[in-house]
Amino acid sequence: MTRQSLDKSVSEGSTERIVPERCLSLTVRGPWGHFRRVEGNIVKQTYRIIPRTTIAGLLAAVLGIGRDEYYDLFGPDASAVAIEPVRELRTVNMPMNTLSTAAGDLTSLNGRGKISIKLPDPTNLRQQHNYEVLVEPAYRIDVWLSDADRFEELASMLDAGKSHYVPSLGLSEHLADIEFHGVFDIEPIDEGAERVEIDSAVPGGFDDVIMDAGHRCQIEESPAFMTADQGGRTTTAFTTYAYNPDAGPLTVSGADAARVGDRTVVFV
Amino acid sequence: MLSPEEFREEYDDEELAAELPDSPISSLRSIQYLYGKLYTLGTLGGGQYAPYLTPDAADDIIDTEDSLIVVRVDVSDDEPSLADDDRGPVWVTRYSDDLVQSVSHCKYPAARGIDHSVTHQAGQNSNPEKLARYAKERLTKWPVDDEVQDVADEHVDGWIIDALAALGENEETLESVESGVTDALGGESTTALLTVQVKTEPDGDYRWPGEIDGFMEAMRRRKLSKLVTKNKADDSSGDATDLVTGDGARTVGTAEDPQNYFLGKQLEKFPGLDIEEAWRSHPISEDAAITVMNADTFVDECSYRTFGAKVYYLPYFQRVPTPDSARELYGLLYHATKDEDMTPVERAYQELRNRESEYELRFYVSAVMPHQMSRYDVFGETMNGRLLYPKTLAVEHNNVVDKTAAFQSDSGRTAPMPTHDGWDLLTEDNNRLHPVSTGWYFRETFAERDDDEAAADDPRIEALIAVLSGDSIAVETLLEEYVDRIDTDENDETVESFPSFRVASQFAQLCALATDELDLLSTDDPGKESITREPNYEEDSMETAAQILATDGGNAAAEKLETFIEDTPALAHDPDASLNDQRRGAFLLGVLIGEVGGYQNYSEERSTTLIDQYPVKSITRTRIKKVTQEAIGKTITYTRNEDRTITLFEHVVERLRETILRPDPDEWEIETDDLRFYYALGVTYGMNDHPDWEQTETDTEEES
Repeated sequence: MTRQSLDKSVSEGSTERIVPERCLSLTVRGPWGHFRRVEGNIVKQTYRIIPRTTIAGLLAAVLGIGRDEYYDLFGPDASAVAIEPVRELRTVNMPMNTLSTAAGDLTSLNGRGKISIKLPDPTNLRQQHNYEVLVEPAYRIDVWLSDADRFEELASMLDAGKSHYVPSLGLSEHLADIEFHGVFDIEPIDEGAERVEIDSAVPGGFDDVIMDAGHRCQIEESPAFMTADQGGRTTTAFTTYAYNPDAGPLTVSGADAARVGDRTVVFV
Repeated sequence: MLSPEEFREEYDDEELAAELPDSPISSLRSIQYLYGKLYTLGTLGGGQYAPYLTPDAADDIIDTEDSLIVVRVDVSDDEPSLADDDRGPVWVTRYSDDLVQSVSHCKYPAARGIDHSVTHQAGQNSNPEKLARYAKERLTKWPVDDEVQDVADEHVDGWIIDALAALGENEETLESVESGVTDALGGESTTALLTVQVKTEPDGDYRWPGEIDGFMEAMRRRKLSKLVTKNKADDSSGDATDLVTGDGARTVGTAEDPQNYFLGKQLEKFPGLDIEEAWRSHPISEDAAITVMNADTFVDECSYRTFGAKVYYLPYFQRVPTPDSARELYGLLYHATKDEDMTPVERAYQELRNRESEYELRFYVSAVMPHQMSRYDVFGETMNGRLLYPKTLAVEHNNVVDKTAAFQSDSGRTAPMPTHDGWDLLTEDNNRLHPVSTGWYFRETFAERDDDEAAADDPRIEALIAVLSGDSIAVETLLEEYVDRIDTDENDETVESFPSFRVASQFAQLCALATDELDLLSTDDPGKESITREPNYEEDSMETAAQILATDGGNAAAEKLETFIEDTPALAHDPDASLNDQRRGAFLLGVLIGEVGGYQNYSEERSTTLIDQYPVKSITRTRIKKVTQEAIGKTITYTRNEDRTITLFEHVVERLRETILRPDPDEWEIETDDLRFYYALGVTYGMNDHPDWEQTETDTEEES
């Protein structure tokens, strides 16, 4: 059993991965969700599977860690995350009225003071933009962190139903509800198994998935890991997920699957 | 562009594999990247500069009169001058296929500014004055551009660029160029490329831009500069992970993409979308950016307009591209550029039917509404479109109207639903994939709207995208749209009487969408679940026991009604679907209204019938009882008038009575659209229900 190959689906990453022995498990859900796809800013399409980087941000919000300060905690060597959609993935178009944020349309508030912010002029005419929004998204998420202190802290925060910042699904107006299921042991599954029913999204795209008429199977690529530098943050690796949009299982051969409770998932 | 056969000969497996990405196709960018690669390989082949050129930008003027204007310059002397040979300083000729490479055009896709290459494309039908100005700019504007000058400083050919610039400062030279152009064109306007030819050696020939490395390098640099400086960015670039290849690279933030989904500006509600930092949120390497831009031609050919939106339908083969799948894809895309009449859906079907690769074939599908150059809305999108859905839908629709007992009958009585040669959705059509893939299929049945002003929530676009991608359509949406359209038709003065062919078309569509294999109907309402099930109408024209009995004196009309109801999951009695009984009540009431209306029309020659008296929009749960009483009352009146012993339409009346009493309509829970559509379906059934005259006549002839 080679757990190192966990990251073979990741386009860049280290070759050695630590074997997680346990993880904590939670479900995030909300009435709406929007995870902007990197291909567009003019168009506002959403990923169907909550990106790994978004989960990192969400959990960092629970822990109260600031922007650009949590990427190492959720780095490829230091963490493992499995994502399972537990509701049918459905989207609607939601037109929203927005103000232009082009440089010319922004005015400074308190321009000479210590704290200065820029705001669009609220008297301007709005433009309507169409957001693709997930309807009642819900994901079961299994997380392991190598930082044992943070892991315990996260578990106790979740157990207590607490959070430092308000958790949301992509955009701040799409509030998230978190349900904690507890800490579980991870049991690896023998890679020799020819057919495994996987409950989570399967990293690596279609290659390991056995197509059958009964299950719909779709694919998408989203950011997985980030790093911070002086100027901001960049994505260091993307992951391609195959997933069942009806929130059912996928049949897979030769995946690095693991059992968490009564579910079978693949970690990234 | 190489034909698929030439492409096959040009690149063997090894060469092709070296060019292809080694990760699975899993995002729009990776599809565009693959398209760009194939395009470059198919047009200008390999080579350092090929990916930067735009050989198709001036495609439409190839081999037309006066389509290439060449400013000819001799720099072989110490003193650069215009050509003084037989051909003269300005040569107006045809832009032919074999000149594409030499002219090496690289268009800057913007209304203002000069093209990246020294070769520049003038607007449609420019007048001679304008062309003369563009011709002069080959010497005055291009060689002195900042990026070009940087190359001139470093490159061994730099002196040629400087010589052009020096000529551009000479007023006399410019006047000669101007008069050369206007004289050669004789006052006529034309659509043309403008370029230069340069003689660099005293004994040499005049060389095209494609033959001068310094010009090509300057072109490349100009194009690359736009990847980091568009939209007022100073230098949006940085080291990051390329989102196409996954490798670390210098990434750029303001590159174009063929669909214009990402533009550098807009801070908006995502923090950090600063134009200088655009490369962080959209990290694409220089090489990938250029390649993605080259996908433009193919991407454009795989799009079409419908309902005021632009539908992109980009085929790709799932998994990591192989030489074989790349050749197959190239073939598809190549044919897309040659064939204007077919949608990409049909083309893919033409090319790939009966081939095993169909399952691997997927489509990126999106419907885009371009409001302005920089304000796009996407109404529906998926990476996971499959040919299976539109194709099977086309086949199933044909099947329903041509082969099932719902639309065809040979029992001596008409089929439950009417057919008509003038109605495309009611006849077999081997080209049905076209209306399905263009969306016309839904335009025919859904409520009418202004096609030029597509809205994000236009259900026709949603339905089209759903079919292309295999997502389901809500039954509620269909019923609402159907009833709305029926109502419009009923109020339309050009439509005579009841729109039964429209209703029949809608019903055929409903049946086709419900096909088990497609499963394109969905509902959250358990009461409507039965509508989403596939009906089981006989497909065989063999006589059934019931039909044989009928000819022996049974009631053929009653048998037909019974069978139709039993075979329609939305109408049949089902202990698990309580609304079915109410729906059947509405249907049977419609049938009776249709039968009586037909009788009034034919036997009584009345122009206003019960059908006109009770239009679909007037039917509500509260009116059901009253309308039923009046309709039954009418049948009794006509029965008396005819001195019959058996009540007219007794088979309907009996069933209607049974259904409408339990539960009482006052307690019905069925929704209005549901109620109305099945009432309309009933009216259609009733109007069409009579002995099959055609068949009766044929039978009589045979007997005589």
